Amino acid sequence: MTIFIKTTPVAYTHYAVQPRIGMHHGMEIALSFEGDSTEKAHKQVLAVTDVSCFARFGIKGPKAADWLNQQGIKTPEVMNAWVEGAPNTLVLRLGGSEFLVEDQAQGKACEALTSFDQASTTGAYQVARSDAAFILGGREVLNLLSELCMLDLRDSAWPSHGVVMTQVAGISATLIRESLAGEQVYRIWCDGTYGSYLWEVLTEIAQELGGGAVGLICRFQ
Amino acid sequence: MMGMRLPAKIGEWIKRDKKIHFTFEGQEYFGYEGDTITSALLAAGVKVLGRSFKYHRPRGVLSLANHDINALVTDGVDTNIRADVVKLVNGMQLQAVNTDGGVIKDKRKYIDSISPLLPVGFYYKAFHKPASLFPFWEKLIRKAAGLGIVNFNFPRINKRKLNDFCDVLVIGAGPSGLSAALSAASNGLEVILVDENQYIGGTLTYDHAGQDTSQQILKDLVASVLDHSSIKIYSGAYAAGYYQDHMVPVVTDQGITKVRAKAVIVATGAFEQPPVFHNNDLPGVMLGSAAQRMIHRYAVKPFNIGVVVTANDHGYRVALDLVNAGVEVSALVDMRPKPKQDAQVDALVGKGVQVYTGYCIYEALPVKGKLGVSGALVCPYDEETATADIKNAVRIECDGVAMSAGWAPAGALLYQSGMGVAYRNDIQQFVPNRLPKGVFAAGRVNGVFSLDGRMNDGLRAAAEASNFLGKQVNVVSVAEHQGVSPSHPYPFVHHPKGKNFVDFDEDIQIKDFINAAKEGFDNIELMKRFTTVGMGPSQGKHSNMNAIRILAKIRNLPVEKIGSTTARPFFHPTPMGHLGGRSFHSHRLTSLHAWHQAAGACFVDVGAWSRPAYYQKAGLSRLENIQQESLAVRQSVGIIDSSTLGKVEVCGPDAAEFLERFYTGVYADQKIGRSRYVLLLDELGVMVDDGIATRLADEQFFVTMSTANAPAVYREMQRWLQIWKLNVTLVNVTGAYGVINVAGPKAAKVLSKLVSLDLSEAALPMGRSAKTEMNGVSLRIVRAAFVAKQAYEIYMPSPYALSIWKALLEAGKEEGICPFGTDTQRLLRLELGHPLPGIDTDGLTNPFEMRADHALNMDKPFFIGKRSLEIIAKKPLTKVLVPFVLAENYKGEIPQDCNLIIENGAIKGRVTSISYSPSAKRIIGLAYVAPHQSQLGSVFDIRTDNGSLAKATVVTAPFFNAD
Amino acid sequence: MKLLNCPMNGVRPLSEFLFGGEFREMPNPDASTDLEWASYVHYRDNAPGIKKEWWYHSPSGTWFIAERNTLTDEVLATYLHGNSPVSKVKEPS
Repeated sequence: MTIFIKTTPVAYTHYAVQPRIGMHHGMEIALSFEGDSTEKAHKQVLAVTDVSCFARFGIKGPKAADWLNQQGIKTPEVMNAWVEGAPNTLVLRLGGSEFLVEDQAQGKACEALTSFDQASTTGAYQVARSDAAFILGGREVLNLLSELCMLDLRDSAWPSHGVVMTQVAGISATLIRESLAGEQVYRIWCDGTYGSYLWEVLTEIAQELGGGAVGLICRFQ
Repeated sequence: MMGMRLPAKIGEWIKRDKKIHFTFEGQEYFGYEGDTITSALLAAGVKVLGRSFKYHRPRGVLSLANHDINALVTDGVDTNIRADVVKLVNGMQLQAVNTDGGVIKDKRKYIDSISPLLPVGFYYKAFHKPASLFPFWEKLIRKAAGLGIVNFNFPRINKRKLNDFCDVLVIGAGPSGLSAALSAASNGLEVILVDENQYIGGTLTYDHAGQDTSQQILKDLVASVLDHSSIKIYSGAYAAGYYQDHMVPVVTDQGITKVRAKAVIVATGAFEQPPVFHNNDLPGVMLGSAAQRMIHRYAVKPFNIGVVVTANDHGYRVALDLVNAGVEVSALVDMRPKPKQDAQVDALVGKGVQVYTGYCIYEALPVKGKLGVSGALVCPYDEETATADIKNAVRIECDGVAMSAGWAPAGALLYQSGMGVAYRNDIQQFVPNRLPKGVFAAGRVNGVFSLDGRMNDGLRAAAEASNFLGKQVNVVSVAEHQGVSPSHPYPFVHHPKGKNFVDFDEDIQIKDFINAAKEGFDNIELMKRFTTVGMGPSQGKHSNMNAIRILAKIRNLPVEKIGSTTARPFFHPTPMGHLGGRSFHSHRLTSLHAWHQAAGACFVDVGAWSRPAYYQKAGLSRLENIQQESLAVRQSVGIIDSSTLGKVEVCGPDAAEFLERFYTGVYADQKIGRSRYVLLLDELGVMVDDGIATRLADEQFFVTMSTANAPAVYREMQRWLQIWKLNVTLVNVTGAYGVINVAGPKAAKVLSKLVSLDLSEAALPMGRSAKTEMNGVSLRIVRAAFVAKQAYEIYMPSPYALSIWKALLEAGKEEGICPFGTDTQRLLRLELGHPLPGIDTDGLTNPFEMRADHALNMDKPFFIGKRSLEIIAKKPLTKVLVPFVLAENYKGEIPQDCNLIIENGAIKGRVTSISYSPSAKRIIGLAYVAPHQSQLGSVFDIRTDNGSLAKATVVTAPFFNAD
Repeated sequence: MKLLNCPMNGVRPLSEFLFGGEFREMPNPDASTDLEWASYVHYRDNAPGIKKEWWYHSPSGTWFIAERNTLTDEVLATYLHGNSPVSKVKEPS
């Protein structure tokens, strides 16, 4: 039998643009959409990258923070905030008692967490996740976000480690901003089933503003 | 035609080194960069820019303040281009709108001469009988009156809608707005300053009274504002409306920016109002401020020999500017009886201007075809009676008239914000006397007219706004108004021939108001609707105040008793494309969407989802596709993507208790691995949704809900959890899990090729669930019987759904596995007799009517809707849902969903689902019928769409031999 | 567009919220008469004034109570159900 591969929530949009596909964490993901120099140029202006392939672990409940702490994962002390809970791993506190743990390109914390055993844990419940997850970067990011989100997302209006659950292009999404290789970028997560829609909106506007979709290679090289 | 462009002057808005060529009505012209279409035409000596809406009278410029609705042009693509606003572009080919044969020769100009036959409201009265002819007249009238012709091939140009934010939004960049912005910014606040003109400065850019002091003030203010890093300027942008909590959409050529401020300072100034006299609409007759704007912004001479008519002191400033621009001002006609005596008068007299005090213009004299002005008939004026003494008329030759009579506050946004007003007699103007929190007014809109006063009022508003936002700054006081009123209380001159226009958008004269009042429409709101005053594109910017003054006079009431109408958003006509913006149509797709599309799926929207209704096979109709898919399920095996099902995990020590309260059934004793039906009612006992609850662990249930209802059901779960405060955690996993349903007699055979789980009837009977894995991927399989007796719902993490779907198709190849869509699913469940909430129920259906008593546990202490059911149960049933069939050989009109059940001419119920079943080989359905019609074998009549009655017989479901 | 203060997420535009109807205290189902119960499920008090209302913040899934003056559309307080500060709503006597 062949090995089952995972598809990204935005796989539907790949049919129109045919990106170069590779595997990351068992998921087929876009490595590049255009030539390297074009993508590099887009990265300066406005780039949208699909990182739905990052390993993710969700947990919710009154004891969720305790359980994560017991596994050696740091959790944010205030609501709607994020920390680097382990090396190269983000921990988002969504409201009061729900957490999203996400390994970044080099992160490795999630694999250990999948040992979570519901039967022996009370007060903490695993949240199955299949988010569409994107990185937005480039100098026109706020221009793009100002069309899609009614909140003031300028740095001055938003603590640097704040998590914002809001609506983007009319759908519920979670936003943070972080520093990636010295560049301030924005992260967006939404329910995977809305992923294709949101991807199409983001890339349409990115193209209008002189940017576009950028694959994993260019984003992380 | 004589060129009217003046020599280059300081502060002009045009760039003379950049020539722009265009045509208007077939003639070639040129202007400069920075010209609007109107200013370039005026500079070329063109006076007639358009024809009026109703009477087709020639019109030119009235205000040049961005609301000259009589100067609308078209380029063949855009329907109504505002010529006074839109900047000149090389190669434009323009025509006036609303003409038949060109703006000069317009064949409809005869309408002006028959205008006495067409009083306001005439067509309501003249043409309402006979009603059958009204459409004919309407078509004729609509063709004769109106503006541009809509271009149905207008290209879609994306206009973005953006969001922006600030502490203080200042609307209007005149002297008060500029000083307010500067002051607020220097108090440490972030300011956005909006002005509709291409350059900031407001009156400082044009109202000079022949001097250059205001230009110096302007230069300093603008330099400081541009210099300030916390002031962001939107110029060429209008604040289109005021919305709750200080949100103001700002419209530019490019789109709309919704500015959310913490405080708003409205410094929008005032609209100059025309005095009303015979022929006050001729091309060449314009407001004094329009003449000033022409001179100082566009370096255009308004006319060569002019008369200024004024009913305030502003006319003197206008006259000085005209004289300075080289216009020969032959007379200044002051409608007020008291002579003005000051340096301005002396200066004018010194320049040879004759001042007529206590005089009016009785009528402007037209040139042939009313295409311009040849002179003015000036008469002594009686302010008391608003009449002219025509016996002592003086004829003054001129080619233009500048008019100043007063101002109306540009208060639209303030009204929209909820302002209360008072009428001040010392300035004859409505001013704010109550403003909502965080909204401030400054300058002329606030009744402050002197230049010093306006700048000071800006500082006061900024101080108040700053203190409102928590700063602590000193209060600024503004001196009371000094001297004469800037507005005249009644600047009207009655004339037996009328044509003394109040509203230039809609061609409304004084007598139209008098007629309206005679007809009983003597309230301002009624009068507005009867005369249509203020209902044209400029929304009464130059007419509402005069209409109020006329009505006050007619009713012999003070102006403040008349009140004012509220101008609605948007402040200026705004293109549809701006309002539309980018189209956002959010939708949810399952992981298999691309596969469905490639397989020829016809999609249907279900809630937020896009789902395959069926898969199109070449040469088959929709119904044939559905029937083939259904037969495949009945005879072999079918497969459907059910990922859209709502899925919620109910976790925690109180999970079972939560379900017992939320749903109608019993879950406390449910065994792990078992599934039970769940039925949700609302507090009225009305059916809301149903689904399956599978117990995964003592403290964990997995609950499904229907696709369309899932978001609402989950929200209700969250709400009741907050009320009940149970130790429960809800996890919505709708998107996280894909669901594939394999159904049909060969389903187990196909599935067993891929999973090691024992799928036998004994090991996995109906209502059981089990964990297993396929190729290393964990799955949960639930034995469900929604569409077929043998059916397996497979739950997997969404990212694996495509791989698993493909594996199942491969495994089922031999059995002819057939993908099917939701339309087929509807037929399959109907064949089994399963009613669907939302399809076979409506907003009032209770479970007794649906014969769902088995799902109710009335012995529980509580479930949502239980108390209401106890009351309902005491009352007799009025309708019952029954399965029915039509005769096997039925040949009549086929009944449809929602057809009625008729007995002795009375309605007894309705059909909720009906379809031809290839398995039952007849038409089957579900219907509500009266209880006495519900016995097995009862026959009832369905009234079909063509009125015939179809005989239906009550049967038991399933409709076919399911074994 | 109106702003509303979600107790968990702060001030947000109204487009992020869903209205959940007037908040009413459920009478004890076992102790209430049929008439009392029917009044509870069927009647709504439409007279303008300060009302308790259910609102739902969609992106975070938060239900909360808003005390709103339906005459002026002013929101006086928002809080999670059960965490009421001193209520501004006059209980019917």
